[in-house]
Amino acid sequence: MILENTLPILLSRLDFAFITSMHILWTPVTIGMSWLLFFLEWAWLRSGNEKWYRLQRFFEKLFIVNFGAGVATGVTMEMAFGILYGPFSQAVGPFFGNILGFETITAFMYEAGFIGLMIFGWGKIGKGMHLFSTFNVALSSSLSAMWILVANGWMQSPTGVVLKNGLFQVTNWWTAIFNPNFDIGFPHMWIATLELALFFFAAVSAWFILKNRHADLFTTLLKPTLLALIVITPLQIFIGDELGREVAADQPTSLAAMEGHFHTYLANGKPDTSWNLIAIPDVAAGKNLFSIQIPHVLSLLETHTWNGVVTGMDHFPVKDRPNVWVPFYAFRIMVTIGFFLFFMALWGNLLRLRGEFTADRLRRHPNFLRLMVFSGFLPYLAVWTGWWTREIGRQPWVVYDLMRTWQGVSHMSVSAESLWFAGYIVFELMVWGGAWYFFSRIIQKGPDVDSPVVGSPEATASGGGLAQPSFAKPTLEKTR
Amino acid sequence: MDGINEILRIHSSLGTFWWILLGLFFVIYIVLDGADLGAGVFSLMLKNENDRAAVMASMAGTWDANETWLVVAGGVIFGAFPLVYGSTFNYLMIPLMFALWGIISRAVAFEFHVHAKGSKAFWGKMFGLGSLVAAFFAGVALGATLLGFPMSKGNAQGIQVANDPFVNTVPHFSGNALSFLSPFSLWTGIAAVIAGGLAGTLYLCARFQQDDPIYQKAYAWATTFSYLALVAVVVTLVWSYAIMPDAAKWTGPGWIGWLILLLAILFSAFRMMMAHAAHRDFPALLWCGAIVVLMWGGMWATNFPYIVPQTWTIAAGANPANDLAILTLFMTGFVPVMIMYNAYQIWVFRHRLTHLAGYESH
Repeated sequence: MILENTLPILLSRLDFAFITSMHILWTPVTIGMSWLLFFLEWAWLRSGNEKWYRLQRFFEKLFIVNFGAGVATGVTMEMAFGILYGPFSQAVGPFFGNILGFETITAFMYEAGFIGLMIFGWGKIGKGMHLFSTFNVALSSSLSAMWILVANGWMQSPTGVVLKNGLFQVTNWWTAIFNPNFDIGFPHMWIATLELALFFFAAVSAWFILKNRHADLFTTLLKPTLLALIVITPLQIFIGDELGREVAADQPTSLAAMEGHFHTYLANGKPDTSWNLIAIPDVAAGKNLFSIQIPHVLSLLETHTWNGVVTGMDHFPVKDRPNVWVPFYAFRIMVTIGFFLFFMALWGNLLRLRGEFTADRLRRHPNFLRLMVFSGFLPYLAVWTGWWTREIGRQPWVVYDLMRTWQGVSHMSVSAESLWFAGYIVFELMVWGGAWYFFSRIIQKGPDVDSPVVGSPEATASGGGLAQPSFAKPTLEKTR
Repeated sequence: MDGINEILRIHSSLGTFWWILLGLFFVIYIVLDGADLGAGVFSLMLKNENDRAAVMASMAGTWDANETWLVVAGGVIFGAFPLVYGSTFNYLMIPLMFALWGIISRAVAFEFHVHAKGSKAFWGKMFGLGSLVAAFFAGVALGATLLGFPMSKGNAQGIQVANDPFVNTVPHFSGNALSFLSPFSLWTGIAAVIAGGLAGTLYLCARFQQDDPIYQKAYAWATTFSYLALVAVVVTLVWSYAIMPDAAKWTGPGWIGWLILLLAILFSAFRMMMAHAAHRDFPALLWCGAIVVLMWGGMWATNFPYIVPQTWTIAAGANPANDLAILTLFMTGFVPVMIMYNAYQIWVFRHRLTHLAGYESH
């Protein structure tokens, strides 16, 4: 039996995969939406137009529910490396541990230090200070994503280290941090967060227009959102292709799995250039039982030449090959979603060019609006499938080509691992169910367009339970 | 030879430097989040769901940052002492798992409770129970760590492969899932809940108006908790002295220093109780914080040169010298900045509340 397939190893992977998959539901929204909230607040302060304020405060309510879920599931992540992958943590500690340390100090704490001011600071700090807090939350959460992608990118393409005394000791910090996978993997992930947040905005807006509630307000939001998406969606496809080529160069087994590409050369000695649209892979036999192929597309995609050689699975010993089913289909789902979202952005902007962008006229395109609501869920699936492709494609390695997953697994009994899994199913589903339920509650309730704007004379009389501060208010207050 | 000695010397001072910073992050975490967790435990004794909401509102703007100090401490262990991180967390799997489940429940309860209608009571319970479970198991984890744990070289999963580069040099945790369980670790769990309860009720006294019903209830409980905490401290010190080899220092040649520390702790406890009796709530909270800092500092010093008693010394558990130097170079400057913006955030949310704060939707 191959070592990586024993029950404790598979369970440890399942344990970690589950908490990661449940955590990545929240953080991309936080990262992407914090920038959008910053722009809304900035637009309000710049134009003095109340509608941006109303939108900001509305989406902020969704943001904070999402943020709470992200924190709840994120603290686990920071500890889970040591708990589930102790020997891995020890071996990669000199690099990976430092990077996670950087992340907590320069990003996680940075974000926490301003999130309270951003959410609960309205009226307690000045407008300028508040905008600054929102900006800091946006910057810090993006920094957090950057460090995490440095760490994960290095696991995909470990450069700049040497294995000494059982530890990966860093010989070149620059090449280790800016490892080849990070250079493209981080832009891909970061753009994904913006795309997800923009579609979140677009989907909520479309829902309100469809229901004819606050329709004008949300039509105003839909315009810049779609304009941003017409740039973001094709850019993401382009960066995705670049990342695919990077994986082809540095992680050929992962690429072969993603593409179901078993044979480098055909029986007649020529390179196999065909791209599999769909396939039924048989890993044990080392071939596809069935596939629909398009000649030359694989070479075009990965080498940008007509007949370029793409290394297939047969180039590697059986013990170094990852599972094919998951990366192959997860990758295809992600790509399909990417193109579909590009199509939605095109459609939306076409409607706008045709002068259909008023609330009344948009409602005559209910199919567009319905599909837009549906599109709000798709980026979540794309983020999931993309990350699964990345992680399962790297197997059986935890650090590609250097450390196998089973070498990094903690000393744990199957029952302890099962308890972890069962418990996290309960708690993570509670978080997921609760957060999405309260999202729907907040959206049902709609934006608050009646209460006085923060900083206006009516708002200074503080209500419910807030006693006057015993000493002077913070002095950064700036009245416009 | 000189070069090697020089590197070893730098390595040991950098390791000690991060060991001190780690102690600082932990103590900030315990002072700040201990009060939040304790207030959560206290909220279980409130009858009215809106009163519980007022307790949650009192920390709405700061709980996340307070809790994040734990993550910072975790990140620093991973960054500066990865060998300790990879084995200790493995050892503490069960208590950490429960503490994390508590943290999850309470983190989402903060956001959901405000919006909930039918499920308000449920999320209120999740907030209180989550705080209780997190405090208890954090205490258990601390007690278990103080007792140390077994390690061995060889593959952690017991899979033997010749010439495996990872198993022959680095020792891994080699006990079982329940190795953490002992009367002492269970006791430290209970002691953590008592200490948290004291900090939490003192914190609520400082955050609510003195004529408010929540203040009055918290005030009475703070008095009770302060006596319980006194007993807990004495029991913990005697028990530690009996079972921890490093505690022999207390009566060793440097006994005068330890005696001064003990007197400082007793003095702070006295000032805390006096301030509390006089309804000077903020000074009472600060003196409580001083007790925590002194006791934590004493524990840290007792363990020296160990980071995990009898298991990992600072030097053995630390990253190689050049990696520690990078961590020091890039991260030290952020520490005062981190403390500053946290202080600002706490200062913004310093005003006293009434029990009506729970009606405010935020």
